[in-house]
Amino acid sequence: MAKIAALKQPQKVSALEGYDPGEFFCELLGAEKQPTATVAPLWHCLETSELASLRQRAADAERELFNLGITFTVYTEKDAIDRILPFDVIPRVLSSSTWAKVEAGVKQRVKALNLFLHDIYHDQKILKDGVVPKELVLGNDCYRKEMIGLDLPCGTYIHINGTDIVRDRHGEMLVLEDNGRSPSGVSYVVENRHLMQRAFPDLMQGLRVRPVSDYGQRLLEKLREVAPPGVDDPCVVLLSPGIYNSAYFEHVFLAREMGVTLVEGRDLRVVDDKVYAQTISGLVPVHVIYRRINDDYLDPQAFNKDSQLGVPGLLRAIQKGTLTLANAIGTGVADDKAVYAYVPRIIRYYLDEDPILANVETHICREPEGLAYTLANLERLVLKPVGESGGYGIVVGPKASKAELEQAAAKLKADPDNFISQPMVDLSVSPTLMESGARPRHVDLRPYAVTGKETWVLPGGLTRVALKEGSIIVNSSQGGGTKDTWVLVAD
Amino acid sequence: MRLLSRNAESLFWLARYLERGASLARVIEMQSSFGAADRESGWAWLLSLHNDEERFKKSHDVSSANIIDFYVNDTANPGSIRSSIHWARENARSLRPFIPLEMWVQLNAFNDSVQHFEPSDLAPAQLPRTCATIRAGCLAQIGTAEGTLFRDEGYQFFKLGRLIECADQTSRLLDVKFAQGATTGHSHDPSDDFVLWSTILKTAAAYQVFRRLEPEGIDPEHVVRFLILNPSHPRSISFCAREIDEALHVLRRNFHLTRASACLEACDVLMEALATAGAEKDLPNKLHEFNDFVQRKLYGLTDAISKAFFQIDLSIMPPQSLTKGGAPKPTQNQRQSQS
Repeated sequence: MAKIAALKQPQKVSALEGYDPGEFFCELLGAEKQPTATVAPLWHCLETSELASLRQRAADAERELFNLGITFTVYTEKDAIDRILPFDVIPRVLSSSTWAKVEAGVKQRVKALNLFLHDIYHDQKILKDGVVPKELVLGNDCYRKEMIGLDLPCGTYIHINGTDIVRDRHGEMLVLEDNGRSPSGVSYVVENRHLMQRAFPDLMQGLRVRPVSDYGQRLLEKLREVAPPGVDDPCVVLLSPGIYNSAYFEHVFLAREMGVTLVEGRDLRVVDDKVYAQTISGLVPVHVIYRRINDDYLDPQAFNKDSQLGVPGLLRAIQKGTLTLANAIGTGVADDKAVYAYVPRIIRYYLDEDPILANVETHICREPEGLAYTLANLERLVLKPVGESGGYGIVVGPKASKAELEQAAAKLKADPDNFISQPMVDLSVSPTLMESGARPRHVDLRPYAVTGKETWVLPGGLTRVALKEGSIIVNSSQGGGTKDTWVLVAD
Repeated sequence: MRLLSRNAESLFWLARYLERGASLARVIEMQSSFGAADRESGWAWLLSLHNDEERFKKSHDVSSANIIDFYVNDTANPGSIRSSIHWARENARSLRPFIPLEMWVQLNAFNDSVQHFEPSDLAPAQLPRTCATIRAGCLAQIGTAEGTLFRDEGYQFFKLGRLIECADQTSRLLDVKFAQGATTGHSHDPSDDFVLWSTILKTAAAYQVFRRLEPEGIDPEHVVRFLILNPSHPRSISFCAREIDEALHVLRRNFHLTRASACLEACDVLMEALATAGAEKDLPNKLHEFNDFVQRKLYGLTDAISKAFFQIDLSIMPPQSLTKGGAPKPTQNQRQSQS
């Protein structure tokens, strides 16, 4: 009889049962490995949630993301498949003091990088003073001679910046990478929040979380600040490669939230060095373009001649000062993985301040001592090619086989300039809902900063989570998902 | 900023594809439900409806199953329901920053269901229900647009696309069905005739109201006049022409788009022809000629709208930027066929 009763009333399993962050820093429990008073309501809610029902609600939420078209497109030979970015319902929580430091650190970094870009496209003082190797900048593929001597409104080159930050075993926030070209992912920050509010209002109860919905409005404000001089009521547009781009949803999101028109290259014309959009009543002037097209494809007259995505003559309009492009052409040199190693020195050089956020310890293999150290310690280091993005080509020493290490060493010796290495950071974990319950999974953080005259940082940012057990690669192309990021109003 | 030409074109085609999907779903729904009296010609008349005989026979045997698959499920046929909904969604996708989220969400989920038909959905027993669901899905999108789409220039292009497609479909239906009636001759059983003409009316969503207005019976002359000339049935050619005219006037008058004038001229010719048809005593016998004229005018109207609003306005540009700029990139709209 007892057995039958058990079948009728299966034992309820708590979503948090069996959660153990082990030796890693847990984003929810902190250094004490105990929920603080501020996150207690969330912890309690998860503890009393039944695993099966929470997983069902999570599946419903993911279905909703698909129907809303909050998707990216994966192209195979045969098909175009719309995929959602896997979404985990357990939020990543940041205390207000932790956030205050991140925010200040990001602002400082963006300010220094903008000054650096202005300098390398003008007097090149930092190169002359020998702080950053000249060939690293001037010999960089992303350095654009076309930008030399141009004065940009507010001196801003990187209007939209994403800083990839990881947290180590001690809870210290470290910058892993700067993204100053066209960082993506901000749409997921806002849409994840909206989804949480609709589908999991119970989790939010009892916590005061800083809002993120005004990102579009803030961004537009900043973009209007950097309009070409003399334009009182600038026309801002968003330039997208179009519906076949895998990040098209984000472009839609940004245009919608800014309330501006989403244009494709074929909608724009340059006439007498001014940019116009083709409308049903003829050509209409455009003053600021938030572009989501890489430098190479922007203007077939100036760069890649085969580009069908760009606008012939766009560079001329920029050079004449009739158009502001966000981000500016040639910012890639500042977020290069090789230049990254010098950012703490760049901050000190221009701002005369210590970096608020430290870099992850980095060995530059173009320098003999960096190469020697890397070769000697390869099995303990993460080896990164400097020209790749999206997590491609990374060799994680402690997880690599002997053959993989030998292969990596050979590649490194053949082209040391192309690599940096970093110690393996024990990335912090956050409880993540898996089949068997909440399990520790490694996360990173990408806060977004928008800059016109000044910099504003969206509270929180994108938390990416490596869904595979033990994995530290959070990129969506390699099995990563996202979480909502909550910045608390009070500690 | 004013409406982008590309967005105007997408709104126009979004509506056309939806209307096309709904019309075709209705045709197949009625054929599979009430086509029994029409056994002799079976499903082959669908091929005439869309001038597809040659194209179809190149790669298929004429059988009802093949024809149904060709028009419902075949992605290689740009005129199939599945293709129409796919292209409606692709147009909506490019309009996502412009159209209300409600429209996108409905169409996105609807398209997902249409793209995943099971073979059993197309089996004779299930086909009418499948088509009814498709029709309802298309109309839900059109209804969501009616209920939520902001009434600026963009809405007028959506309306133009829908009305031109609707007029075209009604004209084709009449043309093919009457030609069919002429070759098979009149049945001796008046009940068969009733089924034939009432099916045509149902296919144009007009049966119920026709019965209400003409309770004494259904005869070809009245059916033709109703579907061409009735001023109040939303699928009659006259109704569509008047609404097209109105939309073009709104563009010219309210939105100061003088380019609408050329389109209005094209529409005037259509309206005059409809007025003449109204006075024509022997309309059923001149039906093919008349429908041919209507379809050519609708084609011309689409062309005029495209020239006025969708195409790159070369005249504003200085000559040197033309030669340097090169031709605009081919777009998905070039794949949007008029028939």
